[in-house]
Amino acid sequence: MREYPLLIIGGGLSGLAAGIRFARFGQKVLILEKHSKAGGLNSYYYRKGRLLETGLHAITNYAPPEDKHAPLNRLLRQLKIPRRTLKLRQQHTSEILFPGRANLCFSNDFSLLQSQVAKRFPDSVKQFEKMLTGIDAYDAFTPRPKVSARKFVSTFLQDQLLVEMIFCPLMFYGGSDEDDMDLSQFVILFRSIFQEGFFRPEGTIKDLLGLLLQQYQDFGGEIEFSSGVKEILAVNNRISGIRTYAGEEISCDYLISTAGLPETRRLFTVPEAAATFSELPEDKTSGRLSFLESIYLFNKSARNQLPQDRTIIFYNLSGKFSYRRPDDAVDLNSGVICFPDNFEGSRQDDIIPLRVTHLANYEKWLHAYDDADKSRYTAMKTDWTERSREVVGKIIGNCSENIVYEDSFTPVTIERFTSRTQGAVYGSSEKIKDGTTNFENLYIAGTDQGYLGIVGALLSGVTMVNQHIFNRM
Amino acid sequence: MTIDEIKNVVLEIIQDIDDEADLENLNPGEALRDQLDLDSMDFLDIVMELRKRYQIQIPEADYPQLATLDSCVNYLIPRLKAA
Repeated sequence: MREYPLLIIGGGLSGLAAGIRFARFGQKVLILEKHSKAGGLNSYYYRKGRLLETGLHAITNYAPPEDKHAPLNRLLRQLKIPRRTLKLRQQHTSEILFPGRANLCFSNDFSLLQSQVAKRFPDSVKQFEKMLTGIDAYDAFTPRPKVSARKFVSTFLQDQLLVEMIFCPLMFYGGSDEDDMDLSQFVILFRSIFQEGFFRPEGTIKDLLGLLLQQYQDFGGEIEFSSGVKEILAVNNRISGIRTYAGEEISCDYLISTAGLPETRRLFTVPEAAATFSELPEDKTSGRLSFLESIYLFNKSARNQLPQDRTIIFYNLSGKFSYRRPDDAVDLNSGVICFPDNFEGSRQDDIIPLRVTHLANYEKWLHAYDDADKSRYTAMKTDWTERSREVVGKIIGNCSENIVYEDSFTPVTIERFTSRTQGAVYGSSEKIKDGTTNFENLYIAGTDQGYLGIVGALLSGVTMVNQHIFNRM
Repeated sequence: MTIDEIKNVVLEIIQDIDDEADLENLNPGEALRDQLDLDSMDFLDIVMELRKRYQIQIPEADYPQLATLDSCVNYLIPRLKAA
């Protein structure tokens, strides 16, 4: 039987980071990835000879190289990736747009958002500054029971419109709860999105994954693709190993699962072991929030019609911003419009990509899906994509005639490719903040540990190894 | 290993963790963390690197003894004598 000091379930960002950390100091480690390539929630595919990204719109937590304590730079040192070898492209300007009511622009210079708040919400300036003091003082990394971020924000801000506008981007880029979020998550997201900001590395997500994989393998880490874990094997309150779909048993001293909370629970086929892992039934831990995501490629004639100074637009059309599983298959009242080429120094290509995201109802899409006859599902996808195009066209200008390629993913697609139940990209609303479980050598990393975004996912992997494994070896 | 050799090992490890660390102006009697702008995660790397290179186990309780370059060297002298 093969034996490893550390096994990692999942070759997404958190799994790769955990692996790099462990391998860096000469320890043997194996990552088992179900899919045929790395990346998990942040991956890519090819159509028409072009690489198309899934997941990643932008990376949060931008920091200049000299800010050594910034999460991004701490992370890179931990992964032993020299900051100056990476070319990072900062966003231009992003916008929170509630048409007919207000808009707020923000960039990687936080003073822009502050001046925008002062201009549009002059009565709220003092309250906003007080909230910033509250956010600065909050320690978001010490595990503690859930606290409502809405309650926290409403102790400072009276203007409900401003409250909704602040929550809108934070929820879209990390909210795993409906219409509210845990205060720690709010603070992490507020800092990483508004105070630090968006960037993209030069190249694509494939290049970033390639860099991480290379680093992992250079340190001697092993990874196996198309190698799903079927079962986690437990003896009392210890994990002894795993069994793969191919039937191989592999034993380990430590196991890190990045599969997610309900997904990891399913890997305990013995009911007692599943109960030991978590008392919460799956319907209590499965995230309810999923998305319809469309990718468009425009020909260059669209360049002059599309906004060139906007990187990401978070819009909301309804009276109250709603961040929950919609009753309909898709909620077109709000969404995220991302221009992946609108980052500083991006190559101006003949083809212009655009990404659009809306909240979607997993059950509705699952109900329409039939593996033997996809016609109903496909028709539904075409219909909703068309309706989305119409709504988005009114916001950024209609360039439908310039579309050369389009594709959409539904919650069902997301579930299939990421193994996240119900296509819940931000995972369970229950987070295991310290990463520990009732099994003494099993840790949770990634989305359901609760650090968010790409930098967060990577830090999650690093932190679990640092805090729980290195000090016990 | 001599005292100088041990000192060089520690400096080399620090340089490896942060290639922009200013080691020229390091005061050997002052806390490394304050002078080098390192945090606890970086500090763990010094411990892990020593473990990897010389198989020395440094328990968490001993971390304070690694605070300055001088105290690091003093702590490592008996442990690296044979290395």
